Amino acid sequence: LNGHRKSLSPVARTKILLLGLRRAGKTSIQQVLFNKLPPKQTFFLETTMRIVKHIYDTVIPLEIWDCPGNITVDTLGAPLSQFTTLIFVIDIRDLYNQPISKLVEFIVAAYRENVNINFEVFVHKAEKLQEDDKIENFRQIHERVSDRLLDLSQEYEQVQLGFHLTSVHDHSLHEAFSRVLHKMIDSLPYLEDLLNVFCANSQSPKAFLFDIASRLYLATDASPVDSATYSLCCDYLQMLNSFGPLYKSITASPSRTQKLTPTPPPSASSASSPKSRSPSPPDNSTLPRASAHTNTKRPSKDIFYPSAATSLQQTTPATTLTYHLITPHLALLALVPTSVYEGRRGLLEYNVVFFREGVQEICDVEKETRGG
Amino acid sequence: MKKKVLLMGASGSGKTSMRSLIFSNNPATLTARLGATIDVEQNHVRFLGDLILNLWDCGGQDAFMDSYLASQRGTIFQHVGVMIYVFDVESRTTGKDLAYYHDCLEGLKQFSPDAAVFLLVHKMDLVRGPKNVTFERKKKELEEASSEAAVTVFGTSIYDESLYRAWSNIVHTLIPNASVLSKHLATFATACSATEVILFERTTFLVIATSTPTRLPNPGLEEEHDDPHQLDPTRYERTSELVKAFKYTCSRVRGEFHSLEMELHDFTAVLDEMTRNTYVMIIVHDPTIETAALKLNIRLARRKFEELQGDSIRD
Ligand SMILES: Nc1nc2c(ncn2[C@@H]2O[C@H](COP(=O)(O)OP(=O)(O)OP(=O)(O)O)[C@@H](O)[C@H]2O)c(=O)[nH]1
Ligand SMILES: Nc1nc2c(ncn2[C@@H]2O[C@H](COP(=O)(O)OP(=O)(O)O)[C@@H](O)[C@H]2O)c(=O)[nH]1
Ligand SMILES: [Mg+2]
Repeated sequence: LNGHRKSLSPVARTKILLLGLRRAGKTSIQQVLFNKLPPKQTFFLETTMRIVKHIYDTVIPLEIWDCPGNITVDTLGAPLSQFTTLIFVIDIRDLYNQPISKLVEFIVAAYRENVNINFEVFVHKAEKLQEDDKIENFRQIHERVSDRLLDLSQEYEQVQLGFHLTSVHDHSLHEAFSRVLHKMIDSLPYLEDLLNVFCANSQSPKAFLFDIASRLYLATDASPVDSATYSLCCDYLQMLNSFGPLYKSITASPSRTQKLTPTPPPSASSASSPKSRSPSPPDNSTLPRASAHTNTKRPSKDIFYPSAATSLQQTTPATTLTYHLITPHLALLALVPTSVYEGRRGLLEYNVVFFREGVQEICDVEKETRGG
Repeated sequence: MKKKVLLMGASGSGKTSMRSLIFSNNPATLTARLGATIDVEQNHVRFLGDLILNLWDCGGQDAFMDSYLASQRGTIFQHVGVMIYVFDVESRTTGKDLAYYHDCLEGLKQFSPDAAVFLLVHKMDLVRGPKNVTFERKKKELEEASSEAAVTVFGTSIYDESLYRAWSNIVHTLIPNASVLSKHLATFATACSATEVILFERTTFLVIATSTPTRLPNPGLEEEHDDPHQLDPTRYERTSELVKAFKYTCSRVRGEFHSLEMELHDFTAVLDEMTRNTYVMIIVHDPTIETAALKLNIRLARRKFEELQGDSIRD
């Protein structure tokens, strides 16, 4: 029976084990990231009674195992060797002994089976504490886990443990999970290269490749990530995701993308000045740009790729935050100087096309090697 | 031109919270830190050009309520343009709430008989089970308690777009010639080959006017059926909410939100400054229209709207 099921879904999924005591927040994490559950609604989640396996497709296909709080290495019913990553969730206000014993138990068992497994600890519900207590509790948990492991054997000094402060109520969860994900994406260096090239050619100080639905970033350029910028991009993406269906027209929308693609669009000049009033002659500096934009923006491509831009004031230099769809599930978000966005739009679009082709190629290779 | 807006209701019903969301651009999560309002907090909010809302946030503890109704009666209920009365949907003191409400209506009848009255059934997010059933029951109860006074009832929550729907409607009644603005927006929409054009107030992002002729004040009524697009009926308030939330993010991390353009699967939109006090959003479904052309149109229309807006509030 097993073999039969395999042939039906032959994709080799990267598996993540989500562990932690009851009410630690495992299901909330899974649902907020991958099922669009609003954070406030996690309050109503019921206790998980048995293992629930969630699949999610991004650059790599994922399978996330949400476990009940009382699970042990023996009752898991699957060899730990098949997991790429083990995430252990600890409520930041919890009495630390019990969760830490459990975590150590799993680390020891998993390390025996697979020395390459990634161990990640989410010190969760962090927003509940004030900054000082937060840092202190985080430090203590980190220290106790390390101490307990070293008490068992010096060999565990090698174990790579990642610690993250997380909360479903802000972007810390998204940022932490993104970093966890990066360790699982084999093609990460190639994606990073593409982003570095894009940034250099577009004078962009920061660019992210996002998974659209989960708002995790799959890769970014080499410049350091600051949480504020990541948060901004996350919120921007969330706004665009919400706008997407808001002005859908039952008659006009369906034909829209088809009309957009096959033939070059007629000139937009028919709509370029209000008929009823023209208070002043159109400013020359805008007009040529508008038509140049027509030429570069839509080469006769077979697919329409949505895009968006928002400009921010009182930044130096003035910044525009751009969004470009790359594949149906991935988007490029970049900060670019407004002068570049407005003055060198053609170049920017060209860089996006180049980037898109690179990413699509990488995705195709991933697909091929995984089968399916 | 000043319009006095009374914000009343029991203590803890959410008056200060909604004020801080709509007028100060604070996020809903920060409202938990608000303390009870002591006596009356007055705010002058410049809304549209010369239109200034004189907002009176009246602390709702019994002692204050008693004094509004007795010694301060004249001061409170004089020159009122709008009274907004907030009811916590989960309130356990409904009887007392209604008694105070009744007394306030009396005060209003005495000193400002022409004032409009809006009732907000608030914290709707806390309702478990079918929200519209609860809302309709509450609404009926409140309408009965209002006897012959004409009231408009909205269900609201600071956690979703319903608050913007209610406040857009409230503010709408304060703009004397909003219909003139609508007419010009319709002309502008035609010039842009747009499906729809929406005008927002700049700081609150409340909807001032739209190119689509009538906005029905009552939630739940269907849009006219000859509309070929059948756009989402909650789109205006959701747009306010989305842009407001994003503005807050921008202000926290990196400068100030300025403009937005989108070419998405279902539509193209440009959101940009129209006048000193307003933002405009153009929604286009025709795929051949360029965002650059729309931006240019906005620039060309600015002066005209600056003039119009001045007119619309000088009644
Ligand atoms: N769940 C929920 N809570 C809300 C909502 N609006 C306000 N609150 C909460 O209600 C509490 C009281 O809000 P306030 O705005 O201070 O109430 P108030 O009416 O100004 O009270 P007084 O100033 O004493 O008259 C705060 O903790 C808010 O966070 C809502 O829509 N839903
Ligand atoms: N304050 C806060 N509460 C959270 C957070 N994440 C989850 N919770 C709450 O924790 C409780 C248990 O969450 P759940 O996901 O069911 O835990 P599980 O048993 O580990 O799957 C729920 O009431 C959630 O609302 C968080 O980041 N902050
Ligand atoms: Mg108050």
